[in-house]
Amino acid sequence: MLAYLVRRLILAVLTIWAVSVLSFVIIKLPPGDYVTSYIAQMSMSGGYVSEQEAQTLRREYGLDQPGYVQYVRWMKLVLHGRFGMALEWKRPVVEVIGDRLWMTMVVSVAAIIITWVLALPIGIYSAVRQYSVGDYLATFVGFIGLAVPSFMLALVLMYLGFKLFNANIGGLFSDRFLLAPWSLAKVWDLTKHMPLPALILGLAGTAQLIRIMRANLLDELGKPYVVTARARGLSEMRVILKYPVRVALNPFASTIGYLLPYVVSGSIIVSLVLGLPTVGPLLLRALIAQDMFLAGTIVLLLGVMTVVGTFLSDLLLLWIDPRIRLEGKQ
Amino acid sequence: MDKRRGFTRRQLLRGATLATGGFIFADLIPEAWAQTPPKLGAQLIGKLEGPELIRDPAKWPKKFNEAPMLAELVKQGKLPPVEQRVPQEPLVIKPVHEIGRYGGTLRRAFTGPGDSENGNRWVSSDKLLFWDYTGNKVVPSVAKAWLLPPDGKSLTIYLRKGMKWSDGQSFTANDFVFWYEDVFLNKDLVPTPHPDFTINGKPGSLKKVDDTTVTFEFPEPNYLFLDILAGSTSMGGGQALWQMEGRTMGAYTPAHYVKQFHPKYIGKDEADRKAKAAGFDNWVAYIKNRWDWRLNTELPVLTPWKTATPINTPTWVLERNPYFYEVDTAGNQLPYLDRIQLTLGENLEVINLRAIAGQYDLQERHTAMTKIPVFLENRDKVGYDLHLDPALNGSDATLHTNQAYDGDPEVAKWLQTTDFRRALSMGIDRDQLNETFWLGIGVPGSIAPSESVPYSPGPEARKKWATLDVKQASALLDKIGLSKKDGEGYRLRSDGKGRLRIELQTSAGAFIPHTQIGEMIKEHWKKIGIQADVKEHERSLFFTRVASNQHQIAVWANDGSEVLYLFPRHALPVDPAECNLGRPIAVWYASGGTQGKAPKDPQLLRALEMFRSAGGKKVQERYKIAQEIWTILVDQVYSIGTVGQSPATMGVRVVSRKMGNIPTREINAQHCRTPGSSQPSTFYFKA
Repeated sequence: MLAYLVRRLILAVLTIWAVSVLSFVIIKLPPGDYVTSYIAQMSMSGGYVSEQEAQTLRREYGLDQPGYVQYVRWMKLVLHGRFGMALEWKRPVVEVIGDRLWMTMVVSVAAIIITWVLALPIGIYSAVRQYSVGDYLATFVGFIGLAVPSFMLALVLMYLGFKLFNANIGGLFSDRFLLAPWSLAKVWDLTKHMPLPALILGLAGTAQLIRIMRANLLDELGKPYVVTARARGLSEMRVILKYPVRVALNPFASTIGYLLPYVVSGSIIVSLVLGLPTVGPLLLRALIAQDMFLAGTIVLLLGVMTVVGTFLSDLLLLWIDPRIRLEGKQ
Repeated sequence: MDKRRGFTRRQLLRGATLATGGFIFADLIPEAWAQTPPKLGAQLIGKLEGPELIRDPAKWPKKFNEAPMLAELVKQGKLPPVEQRVPQEPLVIKPVHEIGRYGGTLRRAFTGPGDSENGNRWVSSDKLLFWDYTGNKVVPSVAKAWLLPPDGKSLTIYLRKGMKWSDGQSFTANDFVFWYEDVFLNKDLVPTPHPDFTINGKPGSLKKVDDTTVTFEFPEPNYLFLDILAGSTSMGGGQALWQMEGRTMGAYTPAHYVKQFHPKYIGKDEADRKAKAAGFDNWVAYIKNRWDWRLNTELPVLTPWKTATPINTPTWVLERNPYFYEVDTAGNQLPYLDRIQLTLGENLEVINLRAIAGQYDLQERHTAMTKIPVFLENRDKVGYDLHLDPALNGSDATLHTNQAYDGDPEVAKWLQTTDFRRALSMGIDRDQLNETFWLGIGVPGSIAPSESVPYSPGPEARKKWATLDVKQASALLDKIGLSKKDGEGYRLRSDGKGRLRIELQTSAGAFIPHTQIGEMIKEHWKKIGIQADVKEHERSLFFTRVASNQHQIAVWANDGSEVLYLFPRHALPVDPAECNLGRPIAVWYASGGTQGKAPKDPQLLRALEMFRSAGGKKVQERYKIAQEIWTILVDQVYSIGTVGQSPATMGVRVVSRKMGNIPTREINAQHCRTPGSSQPSTFYFKA
């Protein structure tokens, strides 16, 4: 058991290292560098950069050195816990990400809660009342939720919000709270802005979860232990919730591995459209601007999150399921 | 449209199309446009107007007033009275409409830490000289006056007596000397002399005459230097533009502040120690960070507003400079607005939607021309005006042919054949492009600048080789040896390797949809038997491909080229940093012939030689040379123009009706730092 854990741990560290190399390679892969993208952006917005400046900038950021030198330089920083400077933001990467990490978590957790609160009851309902009008309706709405791109939904909802309710467009705070220090009023302001993004972010996932829940539960419903429970005279509600639902919930535990990185990155495009100050748009920007340290650090963070999450769900399964435990011993 | 219902299907669709951007929109617009009077676009273009400078001291105000927020500080003893803050010789401005009132925070959008131009165009009055609101006349700004002697070998700048930095320290000739000796001549900071401060490759120098007088000197006549100082160039751009993002130019710098980071004054070890302590690799990186006005809130500046919350945060806030050197004709110290607050909008659709919802007081950046119908629909409900400011450049989506292309000898040969380029140009239906993508507001034609600028080669250049003529275009192509066609009517290569295909390289995310325009041109070229392959690239990949000479034809604007000498890179291959006409040629030009590749085309060579000679010529002669260069460029069609003089770039202005002193039309040009020449310091909230 311990050996298994140690082996997993060593593998996890190796995986994280591989992720760091891969992420750096991927970011260096497209031709050009931060300075090229900076020139492009300036030119696009009516500014300009001279050849001299471009050269000076390249030297200053160390972009004139070969890729592996840049990687080693970055790794040294990472091992010192500094992660380097975000080229575009002119601030340490840790600061730039740190500002947004909490906001991302708040939004994502809200989205996850909404997903579960919606998906579980609907999933249970449509399994228990299979092929009923309600099931068809839930399935239909679910598939629409899955089929409509969430960024599109976000834009339409924002436009309608403005058109019908004169609502604020995008962002997580009202104008006057943007710069204000944290206070109860600011938290309340945040809470008021939360439902729309959380709903939009959660909707696609909801449809998926409804289907998973429905399918899992349908598998369980016909099994003898359910029949037994029912035969013993338990109320229908209790029969369903106490036994088959618990079993059907198993896949939720094993997907924690994917949940963790999701909590950090959220849904990039939706955050971008809704103007949410989260990590997602930051990553997209960093990739477009070829801001390698920032992009590299975020990708690394996501990698670490996935590895840690998978490790956690492995542990969880190990604990839940004796078959896996036995396998680990061999 | 049915007004009774909450919203119609079309409105919903329109909202939805905001998501997918211009190209779907382009399909909707002609229909939406047809319901309104056809000349609506023209109605939104007002009369060019702007503030005036009062240069006669007899007409200057005798008494000065200040903003309430500063008066309060004076009362508390935290600030000297306004008479001691404004220079004895202030810049006196007569606002375009009326004397304004103080106060208020202007709300705008910016797209992130790379969007510096969003702020420094608003504070560009820290330039030495400027262009007035017509864009044709040089006027004083930070400098009180200038002297350009007949021999053209120097330019003397007279500063304002008693002028101060935003921290209250005196602004003098010493700030120029410091910049020249300790920044410009320091090899760590400026490794090679900048072309803007050279003439024919020979560097200029700077000399202090007395505390308020400095002279720029050159070994050869350099009459153009006056325009360079007034233009948006690295010598004249001002501190806010040229000492940020690692830049080192700008002609002056706050010596008393910057000295504390400079090794000459504190020793190299101490300078590096300070840098390390602040988390920088070395003193060079640190000093460049310290003189960056967007990042360092302590930096002394001359601008109307200074950074209060840095640009690398979600809200970039600029706050009034209590020592600003401008006053209005009633003696009120400018600016009127207390603050400018820019909120981060990472997605352009969101910025446009917020502008439509009235969440910005003034936005002329990132507001797209394709959204005009939606802007119009909501303007009365929300209470803003829409102004269109057409630019002066000839063509917003321009097909730049690579004159140094060598990837495919056959294609290279045709790209370097004048009649081939002329035929391509005549095969484009510019009116259709104009209706579809420019809402009919643009001016179809060649790349020549507007006739209203003195560089213009005359009205006939607009139409030359630039009107649809399928017959003549086909005849030209037949004549040069491209007469064989395949079964589908496309012309065949002369080397027998099948159909002749020309690649149009476009970039995603431009102000106007280059790719969709390219697709339409592809349809037009079918009629003359030319197969175009439109390839869209992410914009930095676009630049990388241009830099490595891989493109055949690149679609980009030619903005800025209307003032050819100050911003030639979109018309001539002279600047290796951005060069759609072929980078090897630009490298050849910039290196004085030691690197790169000379152009084969004798006409292009002649244009480049004329361009090089122009710096030493006086203004009228320079105009004449520019006209000749334009005549060559238009006749040889190295760049194929489509539609221009439109508001596509920074010319769609959404302004709250609460704002005053807003010109109905402002000059929209690179060298005027739009809206810089309209003096944003005079904008105000009416109530």
